[in-house]
Amino acid sequence: MSQIYRKQLVFVLTAIVAIIMVMSYFFTYEGITPITNQIQTWALIIQLIAIGIGAISLIRVHYRTIQRRVPGRWFLSAWLLIFFPLLTLIGLVNLATGTMNPFYDWVFTNVYVQGGQTMYAITGFYIFSAAYRAFRARTWDAALLLIAGCIVMLTNAPIGEVIWSGFPVIGTWLLNYGQVPAMRTFLITAALGLIAFGFRALLGKEMGFYGGGME
Amino acid sequence: MAIISEGTLIGFALLVLAFVLFYLLMYLARTGYKISARTFPAVVALPEAVGRAAEMGKPIYYTTGLGPTTLNDPLNGLQILAGISILGYVTRLAVKSGVKVFYYTPVPDSLPLVEETMRTAYLAEGKPEEFDTNLINFAADQDSSLTASLGFIQREKPASSILLGGFYYESVVLGEAGNIVGALQIGGTANTHQMPFMVATCDYMLLSEELYAASATIAGDPDVLGSLKGEDILKMIILLILVIGALLSVAGVNTIIDILGI
Repeated sequence: MSQIYRKQLVFVLTAIVAIIMVMSYFFTYEGITPITNQIQTWALIIQLIAIGIGAISLIRVHYRTIQRRVPGRWFLSAWLLIFFPLLTLIGLVNLATGTMNPFYDWVFTNVYVQGGQTMYAITGFYIFSAAYRAFRARTWDAALLLIAGCIVMLTNAPIGEVIWSGFPVIGTWLLNYGQVPAMRTFLITAALGLIAFGFRALLGKEMGFYGGGME
Repeated sequence: MAIISEGTLIGFALLVLAFVLFYLLMYLARTGYKISARTFPAVVALPEAVGRAAEMGKPIYYTTGLGPTTLNDPLNGLQILAGISILGYVTRLAVKSGVKVFYYTPVPDSLPLVEETMRTAYLAEGKPEEFDTNLINFAADQDSSLTASLGFIQREKPASSILLGGFYYESVVLGEAGNIVGALQIGGTANTHQMPFMVATCDYMLLSEELYAASATIAGDPDVLGSLKGEDILKMIILLILVIGALLSVAGVNTIIDILGI
């Protein structure tokens, strides 16, 4: 099948599925329910197939890295290729116990959790650094952000109310009447953008995510 | 028996209104009605980001978000697709300039789509042999796996970092990592909880619906410009309803609230 027909097929299928799903949400016609259930099951199966393809692609990439002995990376790829099938195999062999399998549990608790927490802690420094960057009063806007941020911090920290009882009042006002309307504005515009994006996808006008298409 | 599901009538009416408006304006745009759309500075900065990378001989870091999600996710799925659309454009620019774009994702079901998009971009620029699947990096969606991206940014010091898609807390960490290495940063998300962090850390930003429109405005397609105009008209209608509803509500009349079923 030519590339053009493949693309057309994708758009036609997208449009049909989208129309059925929208109809099922708004209309009470019972005959549509089995169809939408079936579509959702297909979507799940297709998603799982895509995950399978992703896994195969991952193995291929890391196999090639080992084959080429890429400096500084090949041994990490080897590590992945050892643990990937090992944990899959354990999961398959111990379907009854699943994640409660002693070996799986040991690896998870003593390797994954420990390593994960160590690495997660590193990201904390970036958050501090970013907060400093955001709160530098270089402009009037940034100064306002700094003042508002300090008041909200003092609202949430018990010491704020001890210093001055007005901090929680101003902080709560900023959160409820300063932040909420702005956030709702963004939510409404995002929803409109989403509808427009969906409509363009429905008509086959939004094709950038399928192999480019921005001619 | 009611044909429309309970409580969805107004939503359905607004959706139909939106679709009719979009279609009408798309039709008008196609038939010559001039629609001007503002340019997004973040979109204009994309070639600059690629050019900077070409001049410095450094790669580009690109991600559509590193949080736990899938393409089926109603909040992040379409944002990721919008990010992948722009990835296609950026990759084509990068191929022309001989720059490598390294893409990071934790979304397994998006991998085949990304591979197809990048492969097609190389093909479109006449350099299919240069495409390498090593450019697409899969990192697990746990917080700790974020360090894979941080490691890349620290080691390779990309000239530009592009963060367009559905983001969670990683936006602040990646944004700061890019700042530390002096990368030109372009961010964009419709997740309201992450916008302030992106504004603080990125040089250019696509806010909210701009993310969905960005990929389309690049092409300057009249259909897309028509739908953008439709969005603006809908915003005005919603604003009008909000103002009238608020004024009536203050006066003790709840008609609009009752109609909308709030």
